[in-house]
Amino acid sequence: MLIFAIRRFGLAFLILFVAVTVMFLMIRAVPGDPVQIMLGPRATPELQARLTAELALDQPIWRQLVIFYGNLLQGDLGIDVFSGRAVTDIVFQQLPHTLWLIFSSIIWSAALGIGIGAYAAAHPNTLIDRITAAISVSFVAAPAFVVALLSLLIFAVNLKWFPAIGAGEGFWDRLNHLVLPAFAIGLSWVGYIARLVRASMLEVMGESHVRTARAFGINERRVVMVYALRIAILPVVTVIGVGMGFLLSSAVFAEIVFARPGLGKLVIDSITTRNYPIVMGSVLISTALFVVSTALADLVNAWLDPRARGSK
Amino acid sequence: MKIEWTKAAMGRRGFLKGATALGASAALPMGLANQAFASDDGVLRVRAYGDAQNMDPAHSVGVVEEEVHSSIYNKLIQYKPGREWDWQLDAASMIEQVDPTHIKFALRDDIGYTNGHGAMTAEDVKFSFERIIADATESPNKPDMGPLSHVDVTGEREGTIVLKEPFAPLWSIALPYITGNIVSKTATEAAGGRIGANPVAESGPYLRASWSPKEKTVLKRNPDWKGDAPEWDTIEILPIDDENTAEIAFEAGELDFTRVSLGSVARYRDGVPNGGKLLEYPSLYYTWLGMNLDHPKLQNQKLRQAIQHAIDVPTVLEAAYFGAVEPSTGIIAPGLAGNRAKSMVPPQANFEKAAALLAESGETNVTLTLDTLNKTTFTSAAQVIQATLAQIGITVEINVLESGAFWASGDNPDLQLVLNRFSMAPDSSYATAWFTSAQAGIWNWERFRSEEFDTLHAQASQEVDTAKRAQMYERAQDLMEESGAYRFLTHEATPVIHSSRVAPALRPDGLALLRYFGKA
Repeated sequence: MLIFAIRRFGLAFLILFVAVTVMFLMIRAVPGDPVQIMLGPRATPELQARLTAELALDQPIWRQLVIFYGNLLQGDLGIDVFSGRAVTDIVFQQLPHTLWLIFSSIIWSAALGIGIGAYAAAHPNTLIDRITAAISVSFVAAPAFVVALLSLLIFAVNLKWFPAIGAGEGFWDRLNHLVLPAFAIGLSWVGYIARLVRASMLEVMGESHVRTARAFGINERRVVMVYALRIAILPVVTVIGVGMGFLLSSAVFAEIVFARPGLGKLVIDSITTRNYPIVMGSVLISTALFVVSTALADLVNAWLDPRARGSK
Repeated sequence: MKIEWTKAAMGRRGFLKGATALGASAALPMGLANQAFASDDGVLRVRAYGDAQNMDPAHSVGVVEEEVHSSIYNKLIQYKPGREWDWQLDAASMIEQVDPTHIKFALRDDIGYTNGHGAMTAEDVKFSFERIIADATESPNKPDMGPLSHVDVTGEREGTIVLKEPFAPLWSIALPYITGNIVSKTATEAAGGRIGANPVAESGPYLRASWSPKEKTVLKRNPDWKGDAPEWDTIEILPIDDENTAEIAFEAGELDFTRVSLGSVARYRDGVPNGGKLLEYPSLYYTWLGMNLDHPKLQNQKLRQAIQHAIDVPTVLEAAYFGAVEPSTGIIAPGLAGNRAKSMVPPQANFEKAAALLAESGETNVTLTLDTLNKTTFTSAAQVIQATLAQIGITVEINVLESGAFWASGDNPDLQLVLNRFSMAPDSSYATAWFTSAQAGIWNWERFRSEEFDTLHAQASQEVDTAKRAQMYERAQDLMEESGAYRFLTHEATPVIHSSRVAPALRPDGLALLRYFGKA
């Protein structure tokens, strides 16, 4: 398991390096003079020259990359041009908001999706199964931005059950502000996970250990919940790990529609203003988040199912 | 198949149970309580389109930061809320232009700075103004101070602003806007000469109580403020980029004041939810179609004039702005010196005249590119322009650019037609400054070069006779239009909505003066 973990995190590190390098090169390929865009029309030539030098934009691109990684190894992601604050401070101030949103979306969608999928698998080809299938597919097909806007209009504007914008203050208020955005970006995952669990469970239900359990006269509920679901849930763990990336991208629009702070909004704003230090800081952290989450998902999967550890 | 389960410190069963429990807890309804809706809680909640990140007026990037600065700092004079551009005394108890280059002032004796930095003195005024023009400060707002030479301190609270030459925008921009904020000399110097994300000393009717980046700026009433007491105890400024989101938040009762999209104006004219009101103000923005005079395809003046006459401005405005705005006559908005009563080319298209001009030009099979921002308003306008130019046989290809790429187009030699929009401060010189010969290829994307225009721009800034100044700016816009490089479209508009508990205090262009907001 330890060797598997080392191998997996080594691969994660390599993926992170490649992804960040590609992003570094891509952002510099975007048209427009970043210094002029950042400083606006009235910046003096001296100020423009100073910022160009500070950001090493007058250097060849390979040297810029070396400088970036050199600073990164010292934990220095640079200084925000506009506020003069350290990029690490800014990014880590926004990160918790995005993590809250992503994890709450995963948790509620996984809980409901697993429940629906397991129930449908336990009652295959019944009316209930067909209804849950229809609901699951509808959830998958519902565009998240439509769900976001409709839920805003219904639950925030008309019913006034939940707040429409912001992130809230204090634990319960923050949870309250999470309900609608987490609902919006998690809904399609409910359907996806439900279908996945159903298919996986139907496969497991036909396996020998389940048949044996039934032959021993074990209660059907116990057979489903303990002997079948425990194995059928394994693909969900992997999917959730990969799903972190999708949820990160969903979080971008959720943060805009619900006017929430967060990493996604920070990335969008900083790309628009060509604020390179913030762009790279945000991209580094979000890529690391994705890579680490997929690696962790693989580890959890391997922990739960030793077959997933592969050949030694 | 044999399945082998390995042992782990944390049981797999426990892991799955825990995950399920967490999921169930997340699914619990948590709403219906403790919601911070805009209600009678003494908190004014307003929307800003961006986040105020810098508390140094020398490095302020515009309106968003000025909304905070004007509440936590003082100026000699402030804009007066209303429909006409005017100013009123703020930190100054007296201010007087004794000759074209000297302005005497006296400060009130009851304004002090926080954090133990003492009373506001003339030294603070001198420091604040002179640091804006000092090269070492590298302030992008230096042009606002124009020909400021220095400030003479003649007493503890008295001084004289000395200009190198007369400067009319002193009263409309330099003193009542960004550069007019008076910061504490001792506090700023103690901070190394530069103020960052946090104010080092405040003196206004409000203090910045907290700032959560991208989330909220909270202003609280300054307990030591001796001037007219602000009516709201707390102001929360919420950065919301998207106007539709802001409208939803307002309708949900979470905002008291916000600008709304022009597309929503018709709906709000029929009624604003929760007993609110819609206020429609003109805007200082100016939008136009520009033609690059240096481009080989646009050398022919008759062709450019044909394009001017073939664009039907009312149709463009109906499609792009839902008919909520009026055509403009130039770059200088109504209410400012030099706003023209009418443009030389009428807003309505004249296709016969356009076709005749095109025939006179001798140009055939004309194909041009039109660069525009990737905003619905501009792409809609571009499509209408494309359709109307097609009526006289000119083919237009639209290039839609994201904002970063678009705003870097100034030095693009291949630029042909461009749909553009600039903002400005409330002085006409702010508009003409971008169209001088020196700006060609920088912010003068049309490469319009006119010695007469340059002279008019320079002289008008020094002209203190308002009528003469207006004539100069009118002539300057005539020159722009005569070149054939411009088809003026609109100054847009600033529609805002406010809740029933608020009495907004707004500039004539609809921007908020938060310190003067009252309760209805």
